Amino acid sequence: MNEMPRRVLVLDDEPLILLDLEFAVEDAGCVPLTALEAEEALQILAEQAICAAILDVSLGQGQTCEPVARALAAMGVPYVLHTGDLDRMDEAVRRLGGVLVPKPTPAAVVVSRALENAQQGEQQRYG
Amino acid sequence: MSNHREDQAHRAYDDSPDRFRASRPALSFAGASGVLFEQAMAQTRMAICLCDPHAADQPIVFANRAFRDLTGYDEAEIVGRNCRFLQGPGTDPEALKRIRAAIAQEDVVVVEILNYRKDGTAFWNALHLGPIYDADGRLLYFFGSQWDVSDVRAARADERHARELARELSHRMKNMFAVIGGIVNFTGRARGIETEAREINDRIQALGRAYETTLDEASSGSIEVGQAIRSVLGPYDPEGRRIRFEGNGLRSDFSAVSVLGLSLHELAANALKHGALSEPDGHVTVRWNRNGAANQPTIVIDWVEEGGPHVDVAGVGLSPTAGSIVDRMLGMARGAIEREWHPQGLHATLRLPLREEVG
Repeated sequence: MNEMPRRVLVLDDEPLILLDLEFAVEDAGCVPLTALEAEEALQILAEQAICAAILDVSLGQGQTCEPVARALAAMGVPYVLHTGDLDRMDEAVRRLGGVLVPKPTPAAVVVSRALENAQQGEQQRYG
Repeated sequence: MSNHREDQAHRAYDDSPDRFRASRPALSFAGASGVLFEQAMAQTRMAICLCDPHAADQPIVFANRAFRDLTGYDEAEIVGRNCRFLQGPGTDPEALKRIRAAIAQEDVVVVEILNYRKDGTAFWNALHLGPIYDADGRLLYFFGSQWDVSDVRAARADERHARELARELSHRMKNMFAVIGGIVNFTGRARGIETEAREINDRIQALGRAYETTLDEASSGSIEVGQAIRSVLGPYDPEGRRIRFEGNGLRSDFSAVSVLGLSLHELAANALKHGALSEPDGHVTVRWNRNGAANQPTIVIDWVEEGGPHVDVAGVGLSPTAGSIVDRMLGMARGAIEREWHPQGLHATLRLPLREEVG
């Protein structure tokens, strides 16, 4: 493993949830990068290397995190889908195969699930 | 050249009114009124039939094309029969009673009744029924006009269902916020942190009030900003004299609700403790507007306190926790707060990106 700061992308259209997750990512010793919209998240991915992501599925006004999930999958970055809407979740998003973490789950747990996957992801890549 | 004309629906000319008129004594549809009758009957989309009240079992003597189109029967299958052949197992006997009473009393009545087409499919018929008299006041016919209102009824049912659902959801949500509040409070008491628990609970309840307003128009996906502001601040001004609201019907996507609601809650709680609302004559004016460039619209909220304790403008400072919470929340929502201190009180300006309804 390297000594680079471990950056975690957090995408959610609800600023208060974002705030909570931001604290939790900091508490886990990582650097949080927050986005309220898919476009903002894609911008972050284009500019910075991240080790894991937490994605809210429905982002309001019919938007979903699908483009972000696709980009992450293409880059081999693991992510968790953090959603209060499991039943109605878009089939397209479901097929992308991220780890599902239902809302409400305490922020610390959401972050640890995301990082668990990051470590597994790294092991897979190095192994 | 055929003398057949085309109606507005570009279908073949309906000659049943001609034939009907030809078969009747001239006295009932003489001259120009007869031509008008033909044209109206042939061209209207409203299904119309006439019944003879003097013949046995009051048979239909005329049905225009719209009637035939609506019911699926041919003219030969209609004329000579009593209207009841449109009824079926789902037809409400009460509606039939009203129809019979209207006929007996030569009344005009509108009844919504379930009727059946020739192919057996049911439709909701808004039946308009009434007597037709000749120039001497003698009863000639009963007319019945039929209008398929199945779509209207379905829409009404959907709307009612949606309203019931919204009410139920609203009820459950209020309950849920109350339960959460209860949990926070008793946990606080059990742990000896009642003050902290109350502060947390006040925030949760403010959020609950802000969300309440979103449910009234849950299906639209947007909220009226003013409504959310009023319900968040309501408890700080039970008599409605201390907080003045100035705004228009600005609407926003409901993603703004939580941050907006909680920010105003913090400002109000602070005003109650240290600011304008801590003095009997103090008051707050809350103004909301749409502002910002066309491609980056913004909700701007002015919070102006007056009549509270005199502010020592030089040595002012907000309690650090309250300030940083509002700043962090607004910052995370890509908004901001500016505070200006005047001797008569705080003037804060909150800005929040406005996500408007799409389409």
